[in-house]
Amino acid sequence: MKTRSNDWLVGTAVLGALVLVVVATLWLQGTDIGEGRDKVTARFRDVGNMQVGNAVVIRGVGAGRVEEISLSDNGWVLAELSLDEDVVLPADPVVLIQASTLFGEWQATVTSREAVPANRGIEGQLADAEGAPTGSLPGAVLPDIAQLTTVAGGIAGNVASVAERVRTAFDEDAARELRASISNFNTMSAELARAVRAQSRNMDSIAVDVRSGAGDLSTAAAALARSMGRVDTATDSGEIAAIVAETQRAVVDLREAAGRLNQLTVALSGAESNLVGMIGKADTLLGKIDRGEGTLGLLVNSPALYHHSDSLMVELRLLIADVKRDPKRYFGLSIF
Amino acid sequence: MIEAIGRAVREALEAIGAAGRLAVEGARSTRDVRTWWPNFTEQARKLGVDSLPIGVLIAGFTGVVLALLASYSFTGAVPRYLVGTLVQKTIMMELAPVLTGLALAGRVGANIAAEIGTMRVTEQVDALETLSFDPIAYLVVPRVFAASLMFPVVVGVAMFVGLAAGWGASRLLLDLSTVEFLKGARLFFDHFDVRYGLVKSASFGFAVALFACATGLRTRGGAQGVGAAATNAVVQGCVMILVLDAFWAMVWLLGRAQ
Repeated sequence: MKTRSNDWLVGTAVLGALVLVVVATLWLQGTDIGEGRDKVTARFRDVGNMQVGNAVVIRGVGAGRVEEISLSDNGWVLAELSLDEDVVLPADPVVLIQASTLFGEWQATVTSREAVPANRGIEGQLADAEGAPTGSLPGAVLPDIAQLTTVAGGIAGNVASVAERVRTAFDEDAARELRASISNFNTMSAELARAVRAQSRNMDSIAVDVRSGAGDLSTAAAALARSMGRVDTATDSGEIAAIVAETQRAVVDLREAAGRLNQLTVALSGAESNLVGMIGKADTLLGKIDRGEGTLGLLVNSPALYHHSDSLMVELRLLIADVKRDPKRYFGLSIF
Repeated sequence: MIEAIGRAVREALEAIGAAGRLAVEGARSTRDVRTWWPNFTEQARKLGVDSLPIGVLIAGFTGVVLALLASYSFTGAVPRYLVGTLVQKTIMMELAPVLTGLALAGRVGANIAAEIGTMRVTEQVDALETLSFDPIAYLVVPRVFAASLMFPVVVGVAMFVGLAAGWGASRLLLDLSTVEFLKGARLFFDHFDVRYGLVKSASFGFAVALFACATGLRTRGGAQGVGAAATNAVVQGCVMILVLDAFWAMVWLLGRAQ
């Protein structure tokens, strides 16, 4: 009986401890018993310090955990991510792994390619991881704080080197020259201050002139305003309309005069043609006369004819005078 | 003084040698199952089940103290959820196995050494041999097996209780939410932590029971010898726990760190 009691107690203790240990282990591992989970595989060239059990995050919300990390062919590392049920991956998903805290905690962030920070290194890793034959998501690892501090350490070293060079270059002579430069700078500053004060006075004068000019402008503007007022008044009384009407009439008259002038010009053009023809004929006639052709030419070019004609005219005049004195001598008039 | 050092070294080497010889003899005697099996569950109850309260007590208070200590230490930029990390790591990998082991070394080691020592000085062991009973199979094997099996059981319960106590202290005394504590506890958790603690505690149980049995079988004299044997068994058990703790750390943790 006692042996059976011992057996029962030991068995209970062993089973109880076993259950406690298993339950605590599953609880701490975050294992979801009986809950469906989706598996996603991502491939990287390097996974940094990511470990199995690290969180998988989508838009900052925990959505799963890293289940397995394994080396693959051609220098790839495959990471299997288990996602909570009903988690929807973003469009064109990629996986970025990064340190989530300063204490060595890493996480895998599933995000869309558009949300990837603009960085040539990251984009290069993602492009390199594209086209996986297994259809896994491309992944990249972001620089962690250790890498950043390493870079910062390098920068600090460079700064220290520069500081050392400055210290070497900045000897006693350099200090003396620097003091002299500072003294010169003080002198120059005083000169500059004086120049500025003088220019300030000039500027005051200019300002007064400008103010006066502004007053004149104001007066002119007022006069202009008055003139404009008058114009406005004149416009209101119809004088401008009368002037415009008069002008329109004058324009009509001018248009009529221009028409007449045009007709006159046409007529003059015809007269000019006639005149040209007449001048041509006159020229021909004068040529004949000059050459002594025809009666008139003979008359002009023959002095004897001129003299005969002249004596004829004298005799004719004498005849007419004689007829006037004694018409009966030449005319017999009888009635009945 | 030199004599004292020399005597201490000699006694230590004698104890190790006796335990080694006993281990070899015990390995041979494991074939005599019919002799040691009937005593196994009784020893398992005495060494393990009856030790659960002390293990739970130690782990509970250790968990509370660890949470408060972590909260006191983690100031400034250190996030508070690391309280959970510290409690989980230290309870599971170190304090639950070692503190529980030390407590059981006192309780179990003294019990075994006193019991077997008394049997030795009262010549009951000789009587067993006279009756053709293998004293190793009858006395040592069930105790060593029971301790090796039940130490991990007690430590496993202590791990759970210590973690729960740390969580309760964080909730009630430190105003740390369950989510934060759990985040910290899960942050660097690996099931290796549990395996490490349980395997270590099994080795502790084996060593404590083996050295206690060896000390009890070497008991000479009367009641005074029994008292000395019990004291020596506790001291040797505690020392072996610390030595094995360092051994497992070098074997497993050093290798994993590299």
